Amino acid sequence: MSGTAELERELVRVGRRLAAAFPSSSHQPLRALDERAMQMASADRELRAALFRFVDVVPACRSLDDLARHLVSYLEQVPETPPPLAAAMRISATRAGRAALGAAAAGGVRHLAHRFIVGETPEAALGTLSRLWEDGIGTSVDLLGEATVTEAEADRYAARCAGALQRLAAATPGWPPRPVLEQDPHGPLPRTNVCVKVSALTPLLRPDAPRRGQLDAAARLRPLLRVARDAGAHLHIDMESLDTREAVLELVLGLLAEEEFGAGPSAGVVVQAYLRDSPAQLERILEWARAGRRSTPLTVRLVKGAYWDHELVQARQHGWEVPVFEHRRDCDRNFEALTRALLAAFPDVRVAVASHNLRSVAHAIAANRLSGAPDSALELQVLRGLGDDLGRALASEGHRVRSYCPVGDMVSGMAYLVRRLLENTSNDSFLFARAHGAPLDELLKAP
Amino acid sequence: MTAAPPPPTLQGFANEPVLELRRASVRSSLGPALESLDAALPVRVPVSVGADARTGGGARLQSSDPGAPGRVVAVAEIASVDDVDAAVAEAARGAPAWSRLAPERRAQALISAAAWMRARRLELAALEVRECAKPWREADADVCEAIDYLEYYARGAIALGRGRELLQVPGERNELHYAPRGVVGVISPWNFPLAIPCGMTAAALAVGNTVVLKPAEQSPGLGQRLRDALLAGGVPPAAISLAPGAAETGAALVAHPGVRAIAFTGSLAVGRRIIAQAAQAAPGQRHFKPVIAELGGKNCVIVAADADLDEAIPAIVASAFGYAGQKCSAAARVLVCEPIAPQLLERLAGAVHALAIGQAQELDTDVPPVIEREAMERVGRYAAEAAARGRIAAQAQPPDGEGWLCPATLATDLPDGSPVLEDEIFGPLLAVQSVRDVEAACDAVDGLSYALTGGLFSRDPATVSRVRARTPVGNLYVNRAITGAMVGRQPFGGNRLSGTGLKAGGPDYLLQFVEQRAVCENTMRHGLEV
Repeated sequence: MSGTAELERELVRVGRRLAAAFPSSSHQPLRALDERAMQMASADRELRAALFRFVDVVPACRSLDDLARHLVSYLEQVPETPPPLAAAMRISATRAGRAALGAAAAGGVRHLAHRFIVGETPEAALGTLSRLWEDGIGTSVDLLGEATVTEAEADRYAARCAGALQRLAAATPGWPPRPVLEQDPHGPLPRTNVCVKVSALTPLLRPDAPRRGQLDAAARLRPLLRVARDAGAHLHIDMESLDTREAVLELVLGLLAEEEFGAGPSAGVVVQAYLRDSPAQLERILEWARAGRRSTPLTVRLVKGAYWDHELVQARQHGWEVPVFEHRRDCDRNFEALTRALLAAFPDVRVAVASHNLRSVAHAIAANRLSGAPDSALELQVLRGLGDDLGRALASEGHRVRSYCPVGDMVSGMAYLVRRLLENTSNDSFLFARAHGAPLDELLKAP
Repeated sequence: MTAAPPPPTLQGFANEPVLELRRASVRSSLGPALESLDAALPVRVPVSVGADARTGGGARLQSSDPGAPGRVVAVAEIASVDDVDAAVAEAARGAPAWSRLAPERRAQALISAAAWMRARRLELAALEVRECAKPWREADADVCEAIDYLEYYARGAIALGRGRELLQVPGERNELHYAPRGVVGVISPWNFPLAIPCGMTAAALAVGNTVVLKPAEQSPGLGQRLRDALLAGGVPPAAISLAPGAAETGAALVAHPGVRAIAFTGSLAVGRRIIAQAAQAAPGQRHFKPVIAELGGKNCVIVAADADLDEAIPAIVASAFGYAGQKCSAAARVLVCEPIAPQLLERLAGAVHALAIGQAQELDTDVPPVIEREAMERVGRYAAEAAARGRIAAQAQPPDGEGWLCPATLATDLPDGSPVLEDEIFGPLLAVQSVRDVEAACDAVDGLSYALTGGLFSRDPATVSRVRARTPVGNLYVNRAITGAMVGRQPFGGNRLSGTGLKAGGPDYLLQFVEQRAVCENTMRHGLEV
């Protein structure tokens, strides 16, 4: 019991320091504008739906006129349109008005997209990536793409991933030294860090018949692992919905155990804390890691999970047991339990805790310290565009922090953007609470 | 093994949850279920006249595994004209007792039948895998749908038993109540070999009719299992006779003067014949014989320029090629707006090319064998027609091996009026056409004789409401696959030449199986307060 009290004390101390280190948003007028739009959206369900649907359709619109028509079409479904939007609807009566509205709306969405997506290509992203590095923030590049429904698309995605690995690996050696980001108790850490999605590596991944998709994806993932190994880069395999979890984990652990990957590359997997059975999942991963097949430890990124709505809706529609925690506090408690289990697994795995919840982050830092490990044994991850302030605060406190940076064009970026916006405007979200001025003690309270 | 069914509950309806096949532990139960089924084949299907199992006129038919035609799945006695006569007579004898039961009592029997099926989910699904080459996921969904119909109509009949509210004025008492028609002939197809016969039969029984069921000649084994379930649930034998056979048996049932209504699901050609024949009253026949018919479709998916193709393509592929396109709701045509037509065609072609054609019992299979040789040949003829007059944009080839395996074909550039664009092919062939805009797509849909299902992919609420107002189809699906209607959620059925009936699995379906009777009683001298 005293252990718990000690952890809570340390956690509150860490949380307060981090909160104090947050940059003030008053210096960023454009950001303040985004926040206002998001607050407006959070306040009204119908309006939120209208705005999300608009963001989603932007890349599919063929002209400013088309854009404006869509926007108005969505707003017409909102029972009470706030005054600025009612004005927008009025000007849409004329072609010229629609052009103006379309241009303004497209500009707004582009601005929003740029906050979350660092560039259309790895080349275009390099500037931002190296600036972050110089500020003491590592990155992990995620290549956004359309859904893979054909072999050709799977090939193209794999080629983009390989290209990004090579392109980044060629550029990162020129970056200045940042010891916090380059070393942990296990040894050196790659500067180049890229994420891949298995569902994008094959059109054949079927939830009820994983084998064919696994074989097809393996034929593309294996060469990527080689590229990463030869480039000295880290390759992280992202997790998506529960439909593919079994297939992805089995595939990745299988490939990494192959002899040719015994000495590299550095690689990682993801555990989603919103899944009720995530403790068993983690245990399976740790068991694999304990077997010590590889000289580079596996990185395990702990996240809450980004497909909560999907999982809930799918389970309800099919009459299945809901696989995710339905209450935020249950999920937060599980997140902390998994954090402790991961930290206790030192030195079998590298631990990366990805959360924007100040309590969860402070908990990870405190628990790591109480275990006697140095801060460098724990990596903290944030999402570009959502967790920038937290990332800076963490970096200024000397923690190793990595920003998850999506790269891609508008068309492929919108689904990602909508997911992120959903997260940011959900009443249940930590960011929402913080933006609405919840007191720090409340934010740091045990779930 | 007759495990005691759980106590039936008449409260609330919920769809039977399909198997969560994404979990390996669930998948691992399938193989053993198939093995134990195989050991018990073939299913013997006598002619059942009430409690009497007959050998019929000596003629038999066999159903075989479409994936391994040498495997006999069921052996059925063919019901002769005399057998049909006896079955109808028995059903007529059984009708008064069954119809006199309180709706709750009949509902109990149907819900117990559902419990019997629920206890044998895998066994029944395995039989569908073998008898109709239904892939596991769809076989399981069919068994669940059969359970849903039993549960849903049982509850609906209780509600209907209460009658409907009428206007009441002083001095009279007005009532509207519903009485069963009598003997209902049910003629069912093989493509939903348990759910569809079960739905038609359960609806007829729930409101107090008795039934003579003629299952499809391709799936008598599942017809037998339906009767087994109903008997196990407590439906008296006289209320559910089984008359296996082919066209002749069906014709005898339709023509029989003792049959008061026909419920039929199948092709337009057969449906037309049944409707014509049922309109001819036999000498001494004192009733019109309504036909509740669910017929074919030529279902179109409209893809607007603002569609999300990431969503549209997998949904179209599933709608067109799931169960090898052998669903009346399956997508047959895609009408795509010009600006995105090249992109859609390219991606759809790639997706079709990636389809795995193979055996129904393999979970990896996307496209199973079609039901019989004739179907395989028919699909081949249409594919040849598409190649000759249009262009094959993509084709996934079947592996070598036995079974009625067809390539999955994506055709395009077809001339107006091509039979590929108008006939119901009922197989894995999808035609894509580019259209100027959504209005032109609606015109094309409006030009068809069928009006069963339709799809629309668009992210503009204005487009959605325009298509909704214009489309004649019975079931319109927006931004999702166009197959997989759920009982109680998407009542199912078509308009135009796609059907005569009210929607299956919907709140009005039972009305077709009853007569309405209105009673007005003069209460003037009853001493009631005015």
